[in-house]
Amino acid sequence: MKTFMASPLDPRSKLLAAVSTAVILMFFHSWPPLTASFAVLMILVLLLSLFRPWLAFLKGLGFAVVSFFVIAFLAFDLVTALVAALRLLTIGMVFFLFFQITPPESLSNALIKMGVPYPFAFVLSASMQFVPVLVKRAASIRDAQRARGIPLEGALRTVRHFPALAGPLLIQAFKLADELAEAMEARGFGAPDRRFRYSPRFRWMDWLVATASLAALGAVVWGRL
Amino acid sequence: MILSFEGVSYRYPGADAWALKKLFLTVRPGQGVLVGGASGSGKSTLCRIVIGLIPHFHGGELIGSVIVDGLDTRHHPIHQLFSHAGLVFQNPDAQLFNRTVETELAYGLESLGLPSAEIERRLYWASNLVGLDPLLNRQPQTLSGGEKQRVALAAILALRPRLLLLDEPFTHLDPEGSEMLRAALRTIRSEGIAVVVIEHRLHEVIADFERLVVLHQGEIVADDSPRRVIDQDISSYGLNLPPLVRLFRTLRWDGTPLTVDEALHWLTAKNLSPPVALELGTSESKSHSTGLGNRDLIVEMSGVSFSYNGQPALSDVNLILLRGECVALIGRNGAGKTTLIKHLNGLLKPEHGNVKVLGYNTRETPVAGMARHVGFAWQNANDQLFQPAVRDEVLTGPRALRAYDPVWCNALFERFELGPLLDRSPFRLSEGQKKRVSFAAALAVKPELVVLDEPTAGQDEPFRRELGALIRDLRSQGRTVALVTHDLEFAAEHASRWIALASGQIVADGPPDAVMANGEAMRKAGLRPTQRFQLIEALKRS
Repeated sequence: MKTFMASPLDPRSKLLAAVSTAVILMFFHSWPPLTASFAVLMILVLLLSLFRPWLAFLKGLGFAVVSFFVIAFLAFDLVTALVAALRLLTIGMVFFLFFQITPPESLSNALIKMGVPYPFAFVLSASMQFVPVLVKRAASIRDAQRARGIPLEGALRTVRHFPALAGPLLIQAFKLADELAEAMEARGFGAPDRRFRYSPRFRWMDWLVATASLAALGAVVWGRL
Repeated sequence: MILSFEGVSYRYPGADAWALKKLFLTVRPGQGVLVGGASGSGKSTLCRIVIGLIPHFHGGELIGSVIVDGLDTRHHPIHQLFSHAGLVFQNPDAQLFNRTVETELAYGLESLGLPSAEIERRLYWASNLVGLDPLLNRQPQTLSGGEKQRVALAAILALRPRLLLLDEPFTHLDPEGSEMLRAALRTIRSEGIAVVVIEHRLHEVIADFERLVVLHQGEIVADDSPRRVIDQDISSYGLNLPPLVRLFRTLRWDGTPLTVDEALHWLTAKNLSPPVALELGTSESKSHSTGLGNRDLIVEMSGVSFSYNGQPALSDVNLILLRGECVALIGRNGAGKTTLIKHLNGLLKPEHGNVKVLGYNTRETPVAGMARHVGFAWQNANDQLFQPAVRDEVLTGPRALRAYDPVWCNALFERFELGPLLDRSPFRLSEGQKKRVSFAAALAVKPELVVLDEPTAGQDEPFRRELGALIRDLRSQGRTVALVTHDLEFAAEHASRWIALASGQIVADGPPDAVMANGEAMRKAGLRPTQRFQLIEALKRS
């Protein structure tokens, strides 16, 4: 199933489907359709054998979802809090699924086909490769600071000692970006005659997905107007 | 000539000092050149000039002419030079930017605008040459340091450059990884590709190269065969001399052996073998007997197991560390060394078993509490720098732990020559200075146990000497030092005890000689005895 989703569909049709779904989710203002969407997305996660990566993703997004819930609950009411949290979670899951089934280089190739200049498209896909690198670096920095006696256990202490984490991470991110730029140049990043090994092709299945996505989006927007 | 420097000088934008001064250098096709020199001598700058990053990417002022494979780098952009001269950078993480190993290798070939069939052909040639076929579908970021280094090498090789440069390629490699890289470089040279390697750990490769160039403060101060260069007086250039050469000089012998066989031949020819074996063995054991007689228990690990996402990293580890000893934790990448040291201050809690440090159970004591007793200096000093001034950086720990001792801290500032830097931003320091700040910060709370993570990686000879002196001082003060290292030559000189790890288990624990004599354990841990030990063994056999 994962291979099916990853290979035959053009990244452009997948991107269109993801963006349409995200917009549709933003139009839902009650918890039942959002809960149903969450259930559908969860089934997709399980069908694609992505439960473990989804848990890891949830670790990152969970804090924001809970914060949304708490803030909305304190400012408004329980239903608003539930809707806000569910909306953030489902939209996050849509893009989680999109990036899980779309190799970054396919995405950048597709963007180039859509007329996006190569440097922009490549930087987008390359930056995605470096998210795990920076997450790893952040973990090392956290260890190094805790080993010096800076208490970083728990959310409150992390916020209080935020500069001890953010300072080294920012510096290393800038350094990594500089080194990466050099390495890319050294492998012909600026070459004018680049030719791609694989070029994405828009097939009948992509037309089907794109049409269905736009139809669903149109129906929801129409229903709201 | 594949490379020609004619009177090349260079300085970075905004800098007053010249990074390179009037360099004349030529490299023939297929030649192997080793470049040595202290940190900041201009080695990496030289590489960047060869591939055109200087001046096209970095700017600055470049004087003289640089010709690479017939192309003047000043008049050809980088994308016209990259298939003629390729550079494997020092940091493997920052040069792998594609999703899989296969797409990583294809990237440069796509830049060349080659047809798909040619891309496939070159990609598999390069992959095969450095043994990457089983890894082609893996994500580069999930590979070990050695594997990443080979991917970076293959990504350049696929371009079929006539000149290959490698900037400190052995820094992050374990002995097996180093051996694989050496073999790959020999194969590459047999294909007629000229190879220039920049390296601090000269003994790793010196026997494979016919030429050694020494840079000092931006100038070439020696350029000849490795033996002739080493025979000159190069002691002031910060070169990490091969251990057998250092040994011969210490014993005032006039040979210059680059390999164990050469040393053996020299000694046999002089008819010195049996008494020398005795003398070498005695001098080595003497160097390990320093430290205090007091042998209090500092660390006690009993039945410790730990895993990451179900993958075992430590299995039933039992270990004690005593006051005043220096213990080296050795083994291949991924053997569990870092996991083990993270248990020493409670950064990781054992899944099974117990860790007690100075009587404190790490399960029950917060990391901040352990930090009062265990000082860590990590491999990457940049992991901890965040304060506006060096003084605040060093005093962060003592202030957080309310353990500030002004006399002790002032002594540390003096010891690490930080006095003139105290009000400067740590971000503006050189990498060597940052390392000194991180050492001072680790020691600022007067810890009884000091953990040093790969302290010699990428460091030149003066730093290694300073580090050796520091370890001796710490031991004489009754502090225990735990050293994680691939640098067995350094570990043999300064550690009184080796603990070899393989697949999360301790496979040998004892004095360096005893561990090295345990062939089975060394094989399991992927280690090779030091050249000095190999020589002693060879002498005993003869």
